[in-house]
Amino acid sequence: MDVAGKKTNKLKPNRQIIRRTLFLMIVCGILSFVVLLFQLYKIQILEHSKWESEAIEQQVRETVINASRGTIYDTNMKILAMSATVDTVFISPIEMLKYEEDPSLIASGLSEILGVSYESIMEKWEDTKSWYKTVAVKIEQEVSDKVREFKNEHKLKSVHIVEDTKRYYPYSSLASQVIGFVGIDNKGLEGVEAVYEKYLRGLNGRIVRATSSEGTDMLFNKYEDYFDAVEGNALVLTLDTTIQYYLEKHIEQAINDYMVQNGAVGIVMDVNTGAVLAMCTLPDYDLNNYLELNDAAKVELEEQGLEGDAYNAALTEALQNQWRNRSISDTYEPGSTFKIITLASCLEEGVVNPDTDFYCKGSIDVKGRKGPLHCWRHAGHGSQNLVSATQHSCNVAFTTMGLMLGADKFYEYVRSFGFMDSTGIDLNGEGKSIWWPDSQFKNPDNLSSLAVASFGQTFNITPLQLISAVSAVANGGYLMEPYVVKQIVSPEGEILLSREPRVIRQVISEETSARVCEILESVVGSKEGTGKNAYVEGYRIAGKTGTSEDVGQMTDEYIVSFVGFAPADDPKIAVLVLLDNPSPDSGIPISGGFMAAPVVGNIFSDVLPYMGVEPVYSEDNSKKADITLPGVKNMSVEEAKEKLKALGFKVQIEGGGDTVIDQIPIANVNVAAGSTIILYTETGRPTNLVTVPDLFDMSYSKARETLEQAGLYIRSSGVIPSGSNTIVVARQSIEKGNEVSIGSVIEVTLIDRDQSIIETA
Amino acid sequence: MADFYSFPNKGSQGILDTGEYGVKDIEQVRERAEVKRGQMDLPFFAMTLVILTIGLIMVFSASFARAYYESGNPAYVFVRQFIFSVSGVAIMLIASRIKPTFFRRYSFWLLVFSIGLLVLVPIIGEESGGAKRWIDLKITGFQPSEIAKLAVVLSFASMICIYKDKMKTFRYGVLPFVLIIGIIVGLLILEPHLSASVIIIALGGIMMFVGGTRLRWFAIVAIFVALAAVVLLSNFDYASGRIAAWRDPLSQKLTGGWQIVQSLYAVGSGGLLGLGLGQGRQKHLYLPEEHNDFIFAVVCEELGFIGAALILILFAILILRGFWLALRARDRFGSLVITGLTSLLALQVFLNVAVVTNLIPCTGISLPFFSSGGTALWLQMLEMGIILSISREIKDK
Repeated sequence: MDVAGKKTNKLKPNRQIIRRTLFLMIVCGILSFVVLLFQLYKIQILEHSKWESEAIEQQVRETVINASRGTIYDTNMKILAMSATVDTVFISPIEMLKYEEDPSLIASGLSEILGVSYESIMEKWEDTKSWYKTVAVKIEQEVSDKVREFKNEHKLKSVHIVEDTKRYYPYSSLASQVIGFVGIDNKGLEGVEAVYEKYLRGLNGRIVRATSSEGTDMLFNKYEDYFDAVEGNALVLTLDTTIQYYLEKHIEQAINDYMVQNGAVGIVMDVNTGAVLAMCTLPDYDLNNYLELNDAAKVELEEQGLEGDAYNAALTEALQNQWRNRSISDTYEPGSTFKIITLASCLEEGVVNPDTDFYCKGSIDVKGRKGPLHCWRHAGHGSQNLVSATQHSCNVAFTTMGLMLGADKFYEYVRSFGFMDSTGIDLNGEGKSIWWPDSQFKNPDNLSSLAVASFGQTFNITPLQLISAVSAVANGGYLMEPYVVKQIVSPEGEILLSREPRVIRQVISEETSARVCEILESVVGSKEGTGKNAYVEGYRIAGKTGTSEDVGQMTDEYIVSFVGFAPADDPKIAVLVLLDNPSPDSGIPISGGFMAAPVVGNIFSDVLPYMGVEPVYSEDNSKKADITLPGVKNMSVEEAKEKLKALGFKVQIEGGGDTVIDQIPIANVNVAAGSTIILYTETGRPTNLVTVPDLFDMSYSKARETLEQAGLYIRSSGVIPSGSNTIVVARQSIEKGNEVSIGSVIEVTLIDRDQSIIETA
Repeated sequence: MADFYSFPNKGSQGILDTGEYGVKDIEQVRERAEVKRGQMDLPFFAMTLVILTIGLIMVFSASFARAYYESGNPAYVFVRQFIFSVSGVAIMLIASRIKPTFFRRYSFWLLVFSIGLLVLVPIIGEESGGAKRWIDLKITGFQPSEIAKLAVVLSFASMICIYKDKMKTFRYGVLPFVLIIGIIVGLLILEPHLSASVIIIALGGIMMFVGGTRLRWFAIVAIFVALAAVVLLSNFDYASGRIAAWRDPLSQKLTGGWQIVQSLYAVGSGGLLGLGLGQGRQKHLYLPEEHNDFIFAVVCEELGFIGAALILILFAILILRGFWLALRARDRFGSLVITGLTSLLALQVFLNVAVVTNLIPCTGISLPFFSSGGTALWLQMLEMGIILSISREIKDK
């Protein structure tokens, strides 16, 4: 058995085999699984959230539902900007390959419907790994319906239509720089659209789907979640489209009349709240086609004759230029309009009173300045009190006032009136004013900076800063924070935010304010006032002219401006108009009093009645230039004659009948007092046409005479017609050479060409 | 002659001596000895069926999405796998009735046959993904490398039984084995088939190790293998990309790391409890090979850490039971065969799960009983059947 035992070991697994098998058993059956379990634990438990989120990101596909953007209304709830549903068409090269659809058929079909070139669509197919190639964005529903039809007809799976929204601006270019626009992604890029983006945009909705890697729904594993889009909130602006329209209309007219080269800026502000009622920068642009240059910029760009990159760069610059709201972002030298601030500061500090006398010999010597500082009127204004010095816009007088006030106080008021800070308006891109550093301005040995600053030169401010400060002067001394959005309204109509006017500080007392208003009213209302061309019959208008050299330009370019407010006894609105570089070729002297003042006067004459400010005419009709002509048809001749004569008209009777059958001019038109009214007693009034004569630059009486000879009547606006030869026609309501019915009334805009008010400094 | 008839005493097991004779003689002796064949090992059999059933269910869960997207019939893969599973069980039962001497007798011819097939692969093989590994049998394809693995186990076990004490020498204990491994691996590298090469080398090494080859040769072979690996890895142009994808899969997501990233997404998003059977998302065309090499990722995603760990534990129990049978085997050949086949199973499971969890660089290794595939499953079931056949000769189970 011993032998057998030994031999048995040779067949049986020996000890070594058993030992090594046991070793293997532990390695293969236990250790390797411990390693695997540890690795699984690490990935599934420790790194779970990391892998899960990455996995979900690839498994879930999101479709965005664009939220409808909030509407923008003007102060009277007229729609300035609204969103409408449009469609975007895209093609999917991956699906085209998958479903074996004919790319050229689709390309030709789509190019026909959408007006996109066939080649460009064929190019898009080449990106065969793409799910999404946009063919046309923001197309109208009627066009996308045709695409839908085409898609259904050929049962196409690789053509898709998704909803999008598009912004419409019903008033196209009106207040364009204030309202602004949205980009292709529906994000506000400029103006209120950009500032109030977070309120307007709403919340995009989403459809979340779990999909296979090919984008189809997961089989037996449907997962879909729908998040509704929330419409954006609406904005109610302080802008009034009617006032905005008047502002733009009159400034546009001025740009044409005075051949203004560099555009113009205008602001209408509620002096008591700081609400911006209208704000424009001209030339403007169509918000619905914001990538298209306005005509002026287009001509300018073409004239440069650029090509390629240089052209594109110039185009971009021109576009940015036309989008810029110059009322708030550009600074300029305000010139004499700033004298309002010097005047108010000096009165508030008590260094002058309305009776303070100034003597202007044409120039003044200023400490530290080489040579005398000249008044714009080199001959000098002679002896004048504060009121007449303001009416004259006398630089010598205002220099004297500034020196009396002192540099420290002067800067204190400048800062207090808000000229050194942003106004805080709810629009982007406010420009920074430029002032002398304290060290230089307050140098006691050199007062020249203070001297010229006193009449508005050698510093730069924004138009908005000026009108805000002038509003403060007008409203009793309260500097208000200007604003353009007065309410934010939820889609359900709930008012989420209502803007209360914000007083920044009181700068001057109510008494000082009243005094300044009075003095400034005389600048417009008095015969000697440099602002008399802003006069509007029946209204009390206060204001100040300004003419300044365009800073930074070495050429003879001027900015003419006028800032005014009305009614002077209870100011409601302020208007600032600024014309950048009018051309001397227009035949009108370059001066704020000649160019900007009548524009502001015209704006007031439209806006004040619109705002319900009743005109107050003097009782004496003879002083009134125009009278409403009553209808006298069917009256007896005698009766009619009496009625018309009582109003101061002359009467001429045609025919021998007893009753009036017809009259010229027709009833209820305004016509110059003392005009000859023709009454027809046998036949109707003649209807033949006459040619309108050229009245430009004629004195009022000459123009009236000329019209009468042509069988036409006159009425006037602007400066009140008087015997003065300096009052001449600046514009006529119907251009010369046009044919009109006999007896029509032509309105002439009068302007006072009194050379003594041409202020050139 | 008395030696031939010296039967074992009670208490001690199998005691037939082959003496100085060859294989044929031993078989004759054994046949004459009329070894008592009893019940097959029921725990091992049951574990195999349990794992096979779970694997079948997972094949359905993992495959229905792609089957539906690609053929419209969500049960397409499942039905095939079901048929192969049922026939596989039959193969296992038949194999369990074949005496181990049969396998021993033909082990050398099986080795020759499999090497012959490997030679044929480059000639008539199906090319897929830049490599020729498959031979098309019309109904299904099969990889000769799978047969080579079985052949290595059986022939090495036979050789070890013949060389016995000479296993300590270089001439018998190292040289013939290394030559055979070298031929097979050389042919596999021609395909090229890195993962099969690794398994053959590991498997051959395990057989030699258990068979008694001196450990010092392993040290030398280990150095040789390491050198070879370096040379191979630097020459395989796809290998360096795989290494990069292994070390930082996310950075290679769109290039070589796609598979492993998708696998990690699936494994990681399973968490503790998983998304639920059938609820996996990665199989919806994100995860490649979701019912083959990466089926375990679907298991992890749907059944979570708990489910995946349970399945691994089932595998561990089966493997431990296999080794237990090896230790109890009636003779050296049986013991060596069971050790080899169980080690092969363990190797496949380990390498597959290690790839799925990015423990090792990505390579194509299927998961036994889970990965869909006809002939591979049949061979797997045949191997289980061989183990069960040997288990019949163990008395006290």
